[in-house]
Amino acid sequence: MSDRSQLISTGTPFQFDKERDAEFERLIKRYPTRESMILPALWLIQEQEGWISQEAMAYAADRIGTFASKVYEAATFYTMYHLHPMGRNHICVCRTLSCWLRGKQEIVDYLKNEIGLQPGQISDDGKFSLEEVECLGHCGTAPVVQVNGEFHENMDVDKLKSLLATLK
Amino acid sequence: MADKIKLFVNGVEVEVEAGKNLIDAVGAVGIEIPHLCYHPALGADGNCRMCLVGIEDGRPPLVPACKTPAMAGMKVLLDAAHIKKIQHDVMELELINHPTDCPVCDQAGECKLQDYYMAFDQAESRMNVPQVVKGKKMDFGAGVVHDQERCVVCGRCVRFCRQITKTGELGIINRTDDARVNIFPGRPLSNRYAGNVVDLCPVGAMTSRDFRFKQRVWFLKKAPGICHGCAKGCNITIDHNREKYKDDIIYRFRPRLNEQVNGYFICDAGRLSYKAENEGRLTEARLGNKARPIDDVLAACTREIERAEKIALVLSPNCSLEQMAAVQALAEKLGAFLSGYSDGYIKPGDGDGYLIQDDKAANRAGLGLLGIDCSREAFESAVQQAQLLINFNNDLTRSYKESDLKKLLQGTKVIAVSSHDTPGTALADLAIPVASYSEYAGSVVNCDNILQSFAKGLSKNNDLADICAIAVQLGSPLGSPKERFALLQQSISALKDLEPDKIPAQGLNLNDSEAANVTA
Repeated sequence: MSDRSQLISTGTPFQFDKERDAEFERLIKRYPTRESMILPALWLIQEQEGWISQEAMAYAADRIGTFASKVYEAATFYTMYHLHPMGRNHICVCRTLSCWLRGKQEIVDYLKNEIGLQPGQISDDGKFSLEEVECLGHCGTAPVVQVNGEFHENMDVDKLKSLLATLK
Repeated sequence: MADKIKLFVNGVEVEVEAGKNLIDAVGAVGIEIPHLCYHPALGADGNCRMCLVGIEDGRPPLVPACKTPAMAGMKVLLDAAHIKKIQHDVMELELINHPTDCPVCDQAGECKLQDYYMAFDQAESRMNVPQVVKGKKMDFGAGVVHDQERCVVCGRCVRFCRQITKTGELGIINRTDDARVNIFPGRPLSNRYAGNVVDLCPVGAMTSRDFRFKQRVWFLKKAPGICHGCAKGCNITIDHNREKYKDDIIYRFRPRLNEQVNGYFICDAGRLSYKAENEGRLTEARLGNKARPIDDVLAACTREIERAEKIALVLSPNCSLEQMAAVQALAEKLGAFLSGYSDGYIKPGDGDGYLIQDDKAANRAGLGLLGIDCSREAFESAVQQAQLLINFNNDLTRSYKESDLKKLLQGTKVIAVSSHDTPGTALADLAIPVASYSEYAGSVVNCDNILQSFAKGLSKNNDLADICAIAVQLGSPLGSPKERFALLQQSISALKDLEPDKIPAQGLNLNDSEAANVTA
């Protein structure tokens, strides 16, 4: 684990866009308490902005009607919430058993050596960011790479090269 | 009283109260089960694992005592080898990332981690990897300074802010060995009870900006007292010390448990009100604005009393019942009008329905019980008719603007019997210094009609007289505490059959004795 307590401030107030606003209102009806919306609200923020700023957390807390400290707790507890801006294309490489055995390291090494991308980091041009994640649930087609939420199965270095070429 | 049940601790039979958890039940009979996260006011959280005990009835070998209700016939094991091992192991875990800076830590001497290390661990550290670095001396607001490295993440402070004040400023951020207590950026502690997190913290992670580095706690003498900051009458511990060649001064007030009055907590204003006991005090008797020996001033007072045709007396609503009785008897003897006018002590809207009250005086209920008039009209007309006003510690500048007060007192000589050197005292023709509430014994009645008595907390190098003694020197016939108590017994029916030293430690609820009757 690492310290995730340093939040980044954008200096401008956060607000859900129309679509997320509607989704927030749709989801909140599902739960017995408003506090149950902390995790879904954080997901909506991450979907909208790619990461979660200090202002966005405060917005979520006020919108839900809970303490900002509770949102802060949840966001720092779960490492899948990004607390700083990520690259324009966020690459997740699965590092759990099947993918590891089937060669995820070659993919990570390629990204490391050829693009200079370390896990947890953003490339200098801001085009890519890399994260090693736990099981993505596609073990039958390992190794799996997820780019901007889309799955790419049975990956190898050649396939990765052509995939990267399509990304802007 | 709650039912009693019998259970066994380490094979010895003990009788405890039913309906409590094991920590509280056996704690009440003097057997300590170590615990960090559990606090009776905050409930069981079960995160520290320090209170694990064995219970010989077929359940798993380790159960947390904080979450286990005491049951009749239970066989509790505290000294078995596997319990000692778990206590040792939990201590070792807590200490992995602890900075062990006890020599510079304010909590040293009243630190649970320190106590438990001595009791259950006493082992050398086996750590050979760097410790996790966290935040030091973080300003959490409201006078609370936090050290994340000393924290054992018991969450008492977090639960206090969520359950008691319902302001939720604190949270536990990150997880595993990086977990730490923090505020959300830009949302610091902003409640009027924040100082309690310093007391709640079992270790030195939460410290008070006001108290830190002032005194080592083992030098402090602890005296029980009653806070005079408002009408609630919260029970406090007065921590004071006389350093070599210096005067005895108070370093802090801490809450003292009284279920009937304040529970485990006090407000921040009350906590800091100790400063007024140390500072701004009237220490010398004055004739005009010159310091004179007190006997000379008392003699001058007696001459003024003889000379005046009409005299008015005014009392502070902070005076103890005994002082009120002594002054009331003095008024009767002098044929003087006695007022308790003190509207300035009330701050409308300041109370919060929890501990803080609108009324910033400790014994206004006492004025009512003794039938002392508190109306503004009666006070003003009495002052206007009188040639002499004797003011027993009532800070009239709280009720009047200074210019209005000067106008009111025109043509009236004023004797101020005062504990503090206020602007009002400065206006007086004669001033006599008296003890403040930490320096005398007495009793007060709080806003809920609970009569509480308190003992003298500390003695100054130059101990000042109690208002009772000054009233007697000015002619009050109630010379002894016994006589004063007898007068109180006439006015307060609940005291009728009580000896003065039989007032319960938790206070005497006057509502119970159906007639909190006012003899007016």
